[in-house]
Amino acid sequence: MIVPDSVYGAVLLSIIDFILSIVMISGVGIVLALFPLLNRLGKLDEEKIRQAS
Amino acid sequence: MLNNILEFLQAMADQTGISHFWWGNLVMIAIGCTMIGLAIVKHYEPLLLVGIGFACIIANVPGSSLILPGGLFNYAYKGVELLVIPPLIFFGVGAMTDFGPMIAHPKLVVLGALAHLGIFIALIGAKALGFSIHESGAIGIIGGADGPMAVFVCVKLAPHLLPQVAVAAYSYMALMPLIQPPVMKLLTTKQERLIRMKQMRRVSRLEKIAFPIVIGIVVNLFFPPVAPLITMLMLGNLFKECLVTERLYKTAANGLMNVIIIILTVAIGSTMTADKFLTFKTLEIIALGLIAFLGGTASGVIGVKIMNLFLNEKINPLLGSAGIASVPIAARVSHIVAAQEDPENLLIYHAMGPNLAGVLGTAISGGIMLALLGVK
Repeated sequence: MIVPDSVYGAVLLSIIDFILSIVMISGVGIVLALFPLLNRLGKLDEEKIRQAS
Repeated sequence: MLNNILEFLQAMADQTGISHFWWGNLVMIAIGCTMIGLAIVKHYEPLLLVGIGFACIIANVPGSSLILPGGLFNYAYKGVELLVIPPLIFFGVGAMTDFGPMIAHPKLVVLGALAHLGIFIALIGAKALGFSIHESGAIGIIGGADGPMAVFVCVKLAPHLLPQVAVAAYSYMALMPLIQPPVMKLLTTKQERLIRMKQMRRVSRLEKIAFPIVIGIVVNLFFPPVAPLITMLMLGNLFKECLVTERLYKTAANGLMNVIIIILTVAIGSTMTADKFLTFKTLEIIALGLIAFLGGTASGVIGVKIMNLFLNEKINPLLGSAGIASVPIAARVSHIVAAQEDPENLLIYHAMGPNLAGVLGTAISGGIMLALLGVK
């Protein structure tokens, strides 16, 4: 176990976890902000896909 | 002769459950009945509470073989214990979910982490009350308001607390329409609640197909401890969005989901035996769970207010509380509170973005917690 089993450990775990969570989910947000660029690849014809299946 | 008859009757009674029945069983049976009553009368999460309540009743009838090794409820619990059931729940949820609002408004994704401060308040509180760090982590994750994730993390960190953690998580999720609004109103002004959000852009099919693939890769790369859940969520979503697997996504979202809910609910209910559940620790866990929900709601709202200090285009702070993962209950609560001020303010679609991000946020928090605690 990396974190000590004490109140200090719980505080430490909470601070690291909370900050890392914000960093990581912000990273996901940045990736999603780039998603509109995918549309430059072209457009999928939904009707055609549905008919093919 | 009379003695022999009495001995026979005594031996027979010993083989039934009657001789092992104690007041704790009666209390738990009453709790089980209350759950079923709430589901039927108040419509609080009936799909969950009926199964949990019934299994709780049966688990507290001494002599019931369903919860013993070899019994059906015991096999259901094995599915939870071996972490088969929670990923399958996520699979079904993925097939039922449109991630469009989250993709359309990436700025709101960060609320999926901000609204989880409650997890850490409960974690520190649990540790201060004398729980071990692993138990504290399992209790804290209740604040994520994500049932399957709470079950998953709890089984990994402190499986003996599963009944309390699962009951607290699912009960508070059902009670969110009562828990969240007072906090939301307390922390916002009328002007803030009246803020209208700009129309979102339309998300293309290509983006919706790319989303589960990208997130599947990211989660497995960075958060292996919780990857099974999010990976299955993304698989279910890919089945839905790719348009060529309609039969599979409909099965995942309907038939399979229903089967898994039945298994999950009887598994949780069957662990609610009086000897395990009727302890002071249960009351502490229930109280910490409530603090976690209140803290998460507050941190989400305050998070938006802080973001608004730096944004030209203001965000309605009521969206902050939707960052709690419980989909779509938290989003619906945001919409209802906003509609009380302005019935034409349709916040539901906007609230779904942070709400869905909350699922990822809980998974990320849980994954980091498992990694820091050295649990694989």
